[in-house]
Amino acid sequence: MMADSGPEEIAVIGNTDLTSAELENNIKNTMVEIEKWTSLLRKMEISVGEAEKRTGKNTVNMQEIYTVYLIETRPVDAVTEGIIPAPDSLWRRYSEFELLRNYLLVTYPFVVVAPLPEKRAEIVWHKLSADNMDPDFVERRRVGLENFLLRLACHPVLCNDKIFYIFLTEEKGWKEMVYETGFQAKADSRLKAMNAAFRVKNPDKRFTELKHYSDELQTVVSQLLRVRARVADRLYGVYKVHGNYGRVFSEWSAIEKEMGDGLQSAGHHMDAYAASVDDILEEEEHYADQLKEYLFYTEALRAVCRKHELTQFELEMAAQDLASKKQQKEELVTGTVRTFSLKGMTSKLFGQETAEQREAKLQVLEQQIEEGEEAVKEKNTESDEFVKTAWIDIEHFKDQKDRDLKEALISYAIMQISRCKKGIQVWTNAKECFNKM
Amino acid sequence: MSACTPKSLASSGQKPIQEMCHPLGAEEAVLTPSPDVRNITSSIGEKDQILPNGTPVETSSPSSSSSLLNRLQLDDDLDGETRDLFVTVDDPKKHVSTMETYITYRVVTKTTRVEFDLPEYTVRRRYQDFDWLRTKLEDSQPTHLIPPLPEKFVMKGVVDRFSEEFVETRRKALDKFLKRVADHPVLSFNEHLNSFLSAKDLNKRQGLALLSKMGESVKYVTGGYKLRGRPVEFSAMGDYLDMFTQKLGTIDRIAQRIIKEQSEYLAELKEYGPVYTTWAASEAELQGPLEGVASCMANCSIALDELTQDMSGDFLPVLREYVLYIESMKAVLKKRDNVQAEYEAKLEAAALRKEERPTVPTDVEKCQDRVECFNADLKSDWDQWQNNKTQDFRQLLTGMADHNIQYYEKVTAGDYWLMLSYVHLIQVVVQGAKGSVSY
Repeated sequence: MMADSGPEEIAVIGNTDLTSAELENNIKNTMVEIEKWTSLLRKMEISVGEAEKRTGKNTVNMQEIYTVYLIETRPVDAVTEGIIPAPDSLWRRYSEFELLRNYLLVTYPFVVVAPLPEKRAEIVWHKLSADNMDPDFVERRRVGLENFLLRLACHPVLCNDKIFYIFLTEEKGWKEMVYETGFQAKADSRLKAMNAAFRVKNPDKRFTELKHYSDELQTVVSQLLRVRARVADRLYGVYKVHGNYGRVFSEWSAIEKEMGDGLQSAGHHMDAYAASVDDILEEEEHYADQLKEYLFYTEALRAVCRKHELTQFELEMAAQDLASKKQQKEELVTGTVRTFSLKGMTSKLFGQETAEQREAKLQVLEQQIEEGEEAVKEKNTESDEFVKTAWIDIEHFKDQKDRDLKEALISYAIMQISRCKKGIQVWTNAKECFNKM
Repeated sequence: MSACTPKSLASSGQKPIQEMCHPLGAEEAVLTPSPDVRNITSSIGEKDQILPNGTPVETSSPSSSSSLLNRLQLDDDLDGETRDLFVTVDDPKKHVSTMETYITYRVVTKTTRVEFDLPEYTVRRRYQDFDWLRTKLEDSQPTHLIPPLPEKFVMKGVVDRFSEEFVETRRKALDKFLKRVADHPVLSFNEHLNSFLSAKDLNKRQGLALLSKMGESVKYVTGGYKLRGRPVEFSAMGDYLDMFTQKLGTIDRIAQRIIKEQSEYLAELKEYGPVYTTWAASEAELQGPLEGVASCMANCSIALDELTQDMSGDFLPVLREYVLYIESMKAVLKKRDNVQAEYEAKLEAAALRKEERPTVPTDVEKCQDRVECFNADLKSDWDQWQNNKTQDFRQLLTGMADHNIQYYEKVTAGDYWLMLSYVHLIQVVVQGAKGSVSY
């Protein structure tokens, strides 16, 4: 635990690369945290500054080009004392972020762990390239990675994780350290989790509802993003065709005396109108990214639900096992055979056991029952703990989601209004030119 | 002719032009969102538009908007001369008889001219009658440019001759035709126009008119004379018309393409809004904003649909009609060429026979007169045509700009509603955040 790595200071969100919307968001997030828990951000600024291309050999010993991202950190106290030292920095590539996240997923299964931005560009409209090397994509990924780190740093539990801290501060040897924790062995197999999901009898109702909700959210947000991309495509077409007016008005003005000037200027406005769509759609991509983050969050929600099902299932299995052992003991004591067992059948067929044999068996069973009761108690505690801690985090997540998405929707509405205002401006200007013809 | 005192337009009980609210101005005043919240909420979603001073603007119905536009046009056309002949084509009605079904239009004339017996006339005419008028004008004024009529034939299966849209488009074109004729310094005094505007029943004598048309056109078109020296100014006119036709064709194609792209955008938009509604169903806190965005999208769809309709209805037909106008003009230029060619040929023939007759024969003189008249008429018509063209296109293009402005204003009005509902929430949170965090 690294809770005491520096003097307590007032929190500063030092990253100027965030948009004002994200800044507000982070302020709000941090506000909540300060009231209740300590937050890593109280102690240090974190930012993902740049991206660079590197070449190297990959796992199958082939040359590859990959992108690395610069992570910069600076203790908060350094700034407030009036001196602004250069931040510490190191480079990380996307796969290392993935490793960090996987480690956190396994180590804190009750936490809804923030998702990473897309590895590959999906759900794009035609103008935007699906190429991972495209500078716009890389830039949006940089923003996404920074957002990821800030979400972790704000989280009351995750922010104290040592591996996370070292990810931010020490470039070399971090990977080895992660593997050394042995987290991979602790990971539940997908198969095991699936099995539990099918066979669990009494999962907590809230988790069932949550799973259902996350499925719905995933479906609806995917659909939304797909249709939005198509709408963007069409909008692009409408704006760009108006550029043709620019050209023809210019040509036409050449053969006119009176109308020439008016037509020429109007043509310029049409060109400006056509060109304006590029910025408009770039801004909308930011909105799409905000939605995408929550689309990917649904996977984290489902992971927590799966973990609950698994612990609940294991508890049920342990209880079932205990019940069966108790049953067997009872039968042995009373001599009745209610449950089917091979031993029982064989003893029926081949004769009764001796008193000593029975006594020995009884002792084994009693031992097993004792162990079983311990196991059930343990599993019960585990399950209760899990449900308790998970639900706190889920409530926290819900509040965050409501805040973030409400703001995203309002920003989106603002974007639409801004686009319309620009439209009114351009056409009003064009109209003035026409009036002067 | 009965002596009648010239009466002003106000006798009809309508407001004089100056007091009429500029139709475009009125709409702008309503749709721009004002800083006062109450005004916005009262005017959004209401079909009836209220002017800032509280009087209602006539809701756009075909007859009222056209009459407003008519008055607007008259305003523009005042060249300092006192106009004394006003015509309007409106009120289309369907007539069903055993023989056929057809549409008639009401033609209203107001005039102070002495050539007319009464100051006001109201008659009903059908397309055939307009066609007759045009033919008579062409025959009796061959040296002048006669404005074009809308297309005569429509493919029966493809276009519905009785649909509101088609009838309205045609009515506007017929109105324009008659106004252009009434504006013409020579054509407006034509006796056939007088009959058309005033007679109870047009005694058309269709058959004779057809024959005479044939006769005249044969004379001018199949002259078979070769033109030697066309004056530069008329060549320039021909060149200009060719280039202008080309540009109009391009603009038509662009406008059609925009309408197509907008339709496709609309189709996607119609799918987009409902997804937000679906999402809202599984949310609590977010339900409000999500429903808000959904309704904004719906609002946008409606506005976009209206824009597309307006452009199809107002913009494209006028553009196409101008192409017809250019064809008419080209035909007149050709006629002029033929008249000149005929004159040149006769002059040459006369020069060869000079020995026989010392004086220039009278028919050659007549030809020369004809050429000079034609050239003079054509030049003055050309100037007027150019003038009208500038006004017409100014009106057309500002109309296009207005439609787009209205579209964006409608969408903004919808979004403002969402914003007003939720923006105060952000302000509250930001205040709170700013208060406790120092930079």
